[in-house]
Amino acid sequence: MTSGGVIFMALSWALVLGLVIYSFWKVFRSE
Amino acid sequence: MPERREHWGSKLGVILAVAGSAVGLGNFLRFPSQATLNGGGAFMIPYFVAFLLLGIPLMWVEWTIGRLGGQHGHGTAPGMFDAIARRRLWKYVGTIGVLGPLMILVYYMYIESWTLGYTWFAFTGELFTATDQDAMKAFLQGYQGVARNEFFDGMGTAYGFFLIAFVVNFYFIYRGVQGGVEKLSRWAMPALLLIGILLAIRVLTLGTPDPAHPELSIRNALGFVWNPDFGALGQAKVWLAAAGQIFFTLSVGIGVILTYASFLKQNDDVALSGLTAASTNEFCEVILGGSVVIPAAFVFLGAVGAQDVAASGMFNLGFVTMPMIFAKLPLGFLFAGLWFLLLFIAGITSSVSLILPAVTFLSDELGISRRRATILLALVTFVACQPVIFFLSHGFLDELDFWAGTFFLVLFGTIEIILFGWVFGIDKAWRELEVGALIRVPDFYKHIIKYVTPIYLLAMLGVWGYQQFLPVILMENVAPADRPYIWGARGLIIMLWVAVGILVHVSWRRRGRREARP
Repeated sequence: MTSGGVIFMALSWALVLGLVIYSFWKVFRSE
Repeated sequence: MPERREHWGSKLGVILAVAGSAVGLGNFLRFPSQATLNGGGAFMIPYFVAFLLLGIPLMWVEWTIGRLGGQHGHGTAPGMFDAIARRRLWKYVGTIGVLGPLMILVYYMYIESWTLGYTWFAFTGELFTATDQDAMKAFLQGYQGVARNEFFDGMGTAYGFFLIAFVVNFYFIYRGVQGGVEKLSRWAMPALLLIGILLAIRVLTLGTPDPAHPELSIRNALGFVWNPDFGALGQAKVWLAAAGQIFFTLSVGIGVILTYASFLKQNDDVALSGLTAASTNEFCEVILGGSVVIPAAFVFLGAVGAQDVAASGMFNLGFVTMPMIFAKLPLGFLFAGLWFLLLFIAGITSSVSLILPAVTFLSDELGISRRRATILLALVTFVACQPVIFFLSHGFLDELDFWAGTFFLVLFGTIEIILFGWVFGIDKAWRELEVGALIRVPDFYKHIIKYVTPIYLLAMLGVWGYQQFLPVILMENVAPADRPYIWGARGLIIMLWVAVGILVHVSWRRRGRREARP
C-alpha cells in the first residue's frame, strides 16, 4: 500500500465516520 | 373513506428505515468493484463530489417533497406532484414513482430470496459440497433452475425460498409503517451493522494467509483497493461511474423516500434526517463494503484474480467467489453464512421499502384500506414475479433492471429536481426544507439544487442515452431466441404503467366529482 493509498483510505474513512458521528450525535441530542 | 395517515414512532425509526432502504447488495458488491476498476483511491474524489452535489441534494429534495405531500394526504408521487405543480399532467408524470419501485420489487425480491437460500446452505454446509469455482458456478445455476446438475434437479428449492421471502416481505407491510417497517428497521439495521463489522474485522485481520506468497497480504490488498491512480480522473467514464454509484446507492430517484417521508409530521425535521440516512449508507458502503469483498479476493486470488473478480459482475462476486474464499478460512461456513445473512438483511430492508409506495397509492388515492391494498398488491406482484423466475435465463430480469432499476431512476431524479427547484420555486422549496430543520443547511445548496444538480443529472442522462440506451432499446446484444422474452418484459412494464395511469385518472375524476357536489 503506497502512502497515497493510506492517505486516501484514511481521509475517506475520516470523512464518512465524521459525518455519521456528527449526524447521529445531533439526532440523539434532539430525541 | 381513506384511513387516518400513520406516522413514524420516532426520528431514529424513520432514519433507520430510509438507511435500510438505501443499504442493499450494491453497497457490498458494486461499490468495491467500481472503486477498484476506476482508479482506486482516486475514485473517491469524483465519488465524494457526486455525493455532495448529487446525493445529498436529491435526498433533501425527496424528504421535503415527501413530507409536504403527506400534509396534503398524498404518500406517492402522482398526488405530490399534482399538489406542488398544480398542472393536470404532473400527476401522470408522477406515475413513474409508483411503477418504478413496483417493477424493481418484482425482480429484487427473487434475488433477495437467493441470499436467504444461500444463508441456509452455508450454515448447513451443503454449499461447500461445491469445492471449486466451476462447481460453485454449477451450484448457482442449478439453484436458479438455469441448469439441471448434481446439486439441483429443478427449481423447487429456489421457489420455496422465494415463497418464504415473499410472505415475510408482505407481512411487514401488512403490519403497517410503525408496527411493521419501523420495527423491522430497528432490529435489522443494527444486526446488519454488527455482521458487517464482524466480517470486515475478519478480513482485515487475515494478515498473510499463505506464507509462500508474502505479497498476498491484507496490507497489499488494501493498497489494491485504495492506491490512487490519478490518471483515471481525466477519464469521463470514471466520473460517470462515480455519479452512477452515488445515485444507485442512496435509493434516490425511485420514489420510496417520498413515501417514507410522507408519514412524517408537519414540523418533523427532514434536513438532519436525510443527511443521517445518507451518511449511514456511506458508512456501510465506504468502510464496510470497501473492506470485505475485494481485499478478501486479493489475499486469496492475487491481483489478477481480484481484478477479474471485480469485473465479473455482482452475482458472480457474491454467490460464487465469496463462498469460495470463505471456504478457505477456519469456521468458513459460519462466515459464509453471516455473509449471506448480511445480504439478506440488506435486501429485505430495501424490498419492503419498494412495496410501500404502491400500497400507499392504493390506500391514499383510491381509499382502499392498507391491509386490503397489501393483499391486492401481493397478488399482482406474485403473478408479475413468475416470468422473472421462470424466464431468468432469457434476460427477463436484466431487462426489468435496465428500465426500472437504471433508466427510470435517473429520469425520475431529474424530474424531481426540476419540479422542486424550478416548478415549485427554489425560494418556496427552501422554506419548506427549513421547516423543523435541526441543522442549518448551507445557503449555497440553494444554487446547487437549482443549477448544479439538474445539469449533473441531465448530463448523466444524455451520456448514458448516447452510450447505453440505444443499444439496449434496439436489443443489439440480445440473442434472437430471447427477443420475445425481452418484449414480454417491456409489455409487462407498459401494462402496469397504463394500469397505474388509469387508476390515477379514475381517482382524480372521483375526487373532482366529490368536490363539485354542493
